[in-house]
Amino acid sequence: MNPAAAHYLDQCRALAGELPGRRVGWLQDRRRAALARFEEVGFPSQRDEDWRYTATRPITAKRFHTAADRDPSPPVTAAQLDALRIKGLQSHRLVFVDGLFCAALSDRSEAGAASGVVVESLARVLEERPECVEHALGSVTPRKQHGFTALNNACIRDGVAVLLDANARPAAPVEMLFISAAEDGFAQPRNLVIAGKASKAGLIERHLSVGEHAAFTNSATEIVLGERAEIDYYLVQTQSPAAHHICGIWAKQARASRFRCHTVTLGGALVRNDLGVELAGEQAHCDMLGLYHIAGTQHVDNHTTMTHAAENCSSRELYKGVLDARSRAVFHGRIVVAKGAQQTNAAQTNNNLLLSRGAEIDSKPQLEIYADDVKCSHGATVGRIDADALFYLRSRGLGEAEARALLTFAFVNDVVGEIAIGELREALADTLAQHLTDNP
Amino acid sequence: MLTIKNLSANVDGKPILNGINLEIKAGEIHAVMGPNGSGKSTLANVLAGREGYEVTGGKVRYKERDLLEMAPEIRAREGVFLAFQYPVEIPGVTNLYLLKASLNAIRKHRGDDELNAVEFLKLIKEKAALVKMSEEFLYRSINEGFSGGEKKRNEILQMALLEPTLSVLDETDSGLDIDALKVVADGVNTLRGDDRAMLVVTHYQRLLDYIVPDFVHVLHGGRIVRSGDKSLALELEREGYGWLAEQAAAP
Repeated sequence: MNPAAAHYLDQCRALAGELPGRRVGWLQDRRRAALARFEEVGFPSQRDEDWRYTATRPITAKRFHTAADRDPSPPVTAAQLDALRIKGLQSHRLVFVDGLFCAALSDRSEAGAASGVVVESLARVLEERPECVEHALGSVTPRKQHGFTALNNACIRDGVAVLLDANARPAAPVEMLFISAAEDGFAQPRNLVIAGKASKAGLIERHLSVGEHAAFTNSATEIVLGERAEIDYYLVQTQSPAAHHICGIWAKQARASRFRCHTVTLGGALVRNDLGVELAGEQAHCDMLGLYHIAGTQHVDNHTTMTHAAENCSSRELYKGVLDARSRAVFHGRIVVAKGAQQTNAAQTNNNLLLSRGAEIDSKPQLEIYADDVKCSHGATVGRIDADALFYLRSRGLGEAEARALLTFAFVNDVVGEIAIGELREALADTLAQHLTDNP
Repeated sequence: MLTIKNLSANVDGKPILNGINLEIKAGEIHAVMGPNGSGKSTLANVLAGREGYEVTGGKVRYKERDLLEMAPEIRAREGVFLAFQYPVEIPGVTNLYLLKASLNAIRKHRGDDELNAVEFLKLIKEKAALVKMSEEFLYRSINEGFSGGEKKRNEILQMALLEPTLSVLDETDSGLDIDALKVVADGVNTLRGDDRAMLVVTHYQRLLDYIVPDFVHVLHGGRIVRSGDKSLALELEREGYGWLAEQAAAP
């Protein structure tokens, strides 16, 4: 085992005595199995096809440390949190700092507003009613998981649990805030969403930083959608340029359910988003929308797997990226159509805009089709700012920087436009506009 | 207002303009006509400052200043407007956004207050009515999915809003049916005034029935080979451009 993996194995073992639900047999079994998996595979290297374009060295070369349980005063003040809030958004908000739940910063005043809705710290659920999540926790992450996922599974600690009964509809979106504050902190948020039959909710998972410290977040989220459930999920990454984030979101969809996942990556140094969706019941539909706008030496890897396991399902992927300076992005879109998944309709698009000569994108579709009556399409483009459009805008009096920013914004505007939560959409549009003015 | 002296320009390393001389005074409308490849559009684009049009000689003075020194956006803010032969489609930016950003950039440059959303909307609706454009077009992406005629009308809408001092119309009549042509011409004619000038570049005389020029110039081989009044346009309509080649061949 290499020294980096050994370090995290130690971190994991040291934490074992503090984990919630230590007397829950099935949970401990799953943790042990995942730990064994991690010991076996360690961290992925570029020899792994799925990690070919992404070196984990920025993470493995450093030693990040788990935050220990601390006194109740959080290292983030209410004023600091206010600055990070989405303007005008009313939400059920759970806040975690360096992986630890902060009740003082959270706002669950509206959580009980709808019946059949539980929005709770996962640790608390594991302590008080683990049986509610036994069937789901750890069941959606892939079986042949890479070392990061195994590491998260090995020490499931805390995060958000959203449990929706049949027909439950929370009045406001659920907002999960994961803030990195400690220097060289290591956090492993773990979220679980169980959406009962015909339930409907909007969930926002945000990763942010206070300060410019280096940090390593290794998050995992599982989402189980019941029949006709509708989940709108937003992953918004705006961490500091020194933060690393390995992120996994896995969803399993029952019959006629709808899952929309929006992945927005603006911050972070090395960010990897693994997104895996299994359309397990007929007539399920999934939209995967992605947006990355990066600069400097940022590296963002979006790795998606859309598995059509049942007949008559449809999926659509649209990822758009803007790359400036010497940033680098990877898009790897895998579509698997299982034998028997007839009448599948799957579309995948990845469009990129390169703003500088030093930026680089590796875009790779991967289609594995084992059924014969399917419609599958994919397309990738890489382009630059259109000179004619730039001149057109300038000839109407817009300055060059403003015209470039406008064209760049226009490029991603359709993805932004698909964000259904108005306050989030506007906040992101503002952030992007700011981003564009800062990096003309 | 505009003085062009011995202007030469290359496109892709090829000389296209070979010594243009032209003087346009406030209140005048000049038409530049000529066969394909004579340099008409190059002249229009050089005046607007398009990249890829390399000025190799000569001078252009606009309102007593060196026009060629100015960036395209400065020319626009100083009152130069090019109505494009091929208006560009820009998905993701609404027409309304551009019109407002454009007007306010120009107002700011002149030291005027920027218009707020309400004031702007009132103004743009008046202008849209002028070019008989349905308000729905204001909320669509710039020129995206517009027909040829709608694109040209959109150019004239921009022009009507920005009220340029010097308008350069590059083949604005191409691709227009007669009704659209009249609408466009009406829009242009409302902008005629003692303190404004226009340069109308066209292949056909047809547009000049509706936008009546004070002077007509014939461009051939990157030079103005003949100038006259509006009757010259009619002569060209009758006789075509063939005589130019003969004249060029003559000793």
